[in-house]
Amino acid sequence: MEIYLDNAATTQPATAVLLAMSECSRRCYGNPASWHRLGVEAAKVVERSRQTLAEALGAEPDEIVFTSGGTESNNLAVKGTAWAAGRRGKHIVISAVEHPSVTAAALSLEKLGVRVSLVGVDSEGLVDPAAVARVLTSATILVSVMHANHEIGALEPVQEIGRLCRGRGILFHCDACQSFTKEPLDVAKVPVDLLSVNAHKLHGPKGIGALYVRKGTALAPLFDGGGQEGGRRSGTLNTPAIAGFAAAIEAVDLRAASVMRRLRDRLWDSLRRAVPGIRLNGPRKARLCNNLNVMLPETESKPLLRKLSAAGIYASAGAACSSAKPEPSPVLLAIGLSPQETVRSLRLSLSRWTTQAQVDAAARAIVRLAGGS
Amino acid sequence: MSRPAETLDLTGVPCPANAARALLVIEGLPAGAFLRISLDDGEPIQNVPPALEEQGHVVVDKVRIGTGWQVLVKKGEEA
Repeated sequence: MEIYLDNAATTQPATAVLLAMSECSRRCYGNPASWHRLGVEAAKVVERSRQTLAEALGAEPDEIVFTSGGTESNNLAVKGTAWAAGRRGKHIVISAVEHPSVTAAALSLEKLGVRVSLVGVDSEGLVDPAAVARVLTSATILVSVMHANHEIGALEPVQEIGRLCRGRGILFHCDACQSFTKEPLDVAKVPVDLLSVNAHKLHGPKGIGALYVRKGTALAPLFDGGGQEGGRRSGTLNTPAIAGFAAAIEAVDLRAASVMRRLRDRLWDSLRRAVPGIRLNGPRKARLCNNLNVMLPETESKPLLRKLSAAGIYASAGAACSSAKPEPSPVLLAIGLSPQETVRSLRLSLSRWTTQAQVDAAARAIVRLAGGS
Repeated sequence: MSRPAETLDLTGVPCPANAARALLVIEGLPAGAFLRISLDDGEPIQNVPPALEEQGHVVVDKVRIGTGWQVLVKKGEEA
């Protein structure tokens, strides 16, 4: 039995997604910027998908900019805001647990004279809105705090932080790549100006994402080119992937979150009963429904992951984007783990297809390989 | 008596997304129904009506209103 518990890294594409992409590739291969019949047919696919995504977010279709994924969406939000602000943009605030595509994008602006403040988190990985308020100045143009953390699943208080920013006329960006369609997030209710999502975390294709840009938000493009997406993102649109993105959203089962939460809790219960000294990384309550991150008492995660892989069980030590880097996870360091403790941490992330039998089998294998009882 | 026309504001929507959105709305209408579309001057008024006609719909009227246009389209019988 194959047990895939690395759904925070990426998910298996749904059959409906593969069919939508295949159909689109065969029949709507025109460039959606072309005026002939095939081009307009491709543009219809794009606009229908834009409508689907907008409805899922509570946005208007014109507020959706298709990108190549979460990393580009985050870069566009952070750099695009700063570049559009020009000389006015002197200060950006991000949390200490952001995805590298937010952190690196923000820090890259320092050479342009932008000051970047990193707001720390508590031992569960949660940002305190009051701590954000304390670092805001009259020069602050953007605050970026993610919705759900990619490693420990912490659900950040984005409503409060957004309200804080809105009250001071500061733009608020939220990276919702992990939480999109798993946790409620409606841009009509949450005061967010920019929101990053992608498809491959929800059984959609890789290489496609979007940035929600609230109407009236000044944003400079990352790329020069043909001016697609209303001048905000040049480049020929990836129509099959866009069709697959919409198909993935349409296939979402809103009841799946509670099932994933129950199975995730069952997995944690099995592990903590059988492995003395095991600890939960991240929050107990304000946590993404499919995320479990644990610190093992003695076993290093990398050798354990190799043994699990050999047994057909796939998980990870942390963020997929950081897997190739030998440095300890900045997220785990930010919640107070020592570098030695970070290498004993294991991320187990479920999908709506994960079954109870899989969770129980994974728990037994981890207990056996990690030396539990 | 014929049904009143549905309306669709496509001002500010770039080409050819405006044509695509118009076609998606027309597809949801019964044959023979009317759609009144607001379009920007320039490329949109030059390109959207022909794109609709190419798909079998009938552009009944084009009226300049202020800096833009209002186009009345009838859904084709076999479109």
